[in-house]
Amino acid sequence: MATDLFDLAAEKLETSTEMDRLASRGTLRIALKEAGLDAHKLTVTQLRAVFEKLMPKELEARGVSDAAATCQAAMNEIAISADSIGIASAASPDDVFKRLGES
Amino acid sequence: MEENAYLASILASIFFLIASMRLIRLHRRTRERPELLLGLYFAFSGIYYLGYNTPSLLQFDAWPAPINLAIEWAYILGVFPYLLFIRSVFRPAATWAGCFVAVCSVCLLVGTLLLTQDGTVDYALTNPWFVVQWFGYTAPCFWLGWEAMLYRQNATKRARIGLCPPIVANRYLLIALFGCFQVFACLADLSFANEVGSSETVSLLTDALLGGAEIASVAVLWLAFFPPVRYTNWITRRAVILPTPMDG
Repeated sequence: MATDLFDLAAEKLETSTEMDRLASRGTLRIALKEAGLDAHKLTVTQLRAVFEKLMPKELEARGVSDAAATCQAAMNEIAISADSIGIASAASPDDVFKRLGES
Repeated sequence: MEENAYLASILASIFFLIASMRLIRLHRRTRERPELLLGLYFAFSGIYYLGYNTPSLLQFDAWPAPINLAIEWAYILGVFPYLLFIRSVFRPAATWAGCFVAVCSVCLLVGTLLLTQDGTVDYALTNPWFVVQWFGYTAPCFWLGWEAMLYRQNATKRARIGLCPPIVANRYLLIALFGCFQVFACLADLSFANEVGSSETVSLLTDALLGGAEIASVAVLWLAFFPPVRYTNWITRRAVILPTPMDG
């Protein structure tokens, strides 16, 4: 069973495509690296942006048909599962640096 | 004090005090720790720079020794919240970061205690306790610059997919530059200590390095904490944000 959001997303990617476990985890890691995200500190919002903007391209490159729709369906399932197992959003340095410019 | 650098330091002290008031006011509103820690650092630094440069500004020889000591300790006390800020923001769970904070803290305390043991502040490169103290306040500046630069790289990527506002990604760069300029100022401290210890005069290069580093620090902090609307708009316009494939 998935213990964090990365594991959960990799599992959903595996079941939504014909990729095996290794390929789905690798593809997810590549997309996260391109997005500048840490696999261990992922939030649902961040993952949604990755699945909307970067993952379709990665899946197309791996021969997955209708990649955008696949990503959308997988992300919807991830969001529901993340909610049910209580994966929460973590505070990040971005929040701090955003506040520093506030008056 | 150096020939002209004290004017830049006075400017920096005023700016640091304004920034500290802004950050502490922000903390009172948000109740979050990072802004308080950074605000305390700037408050102590502002007091230090102001106190240290007042004799040059008002043209008297020097403060009495106890006031000099108090000014020295004000700066050192400010480095502790600075260290805690860097750790709590960038490496809250890293054991090595906790150890690094401890090492810097010990260097600051031991260095300053032994540097001032005869009741005066003995800035001289030949005094090993000066070097210990110097490491204690230089390493955090380097650490901040390094961490902020690392985060800037990823923040720029996140900005492309709309996960980080471009102005926040830019703020990482500005804070990284602040850390770098402070390292330059600390390197100039070494040169200053060497020259004062040997000849009681300060070279033009040291003077320019100290003054230049302080002015550059103020400039990047001003853009980070008080970004003009025109600057924010410029950064936002320059940012490349990827469209969603599904949007067509």
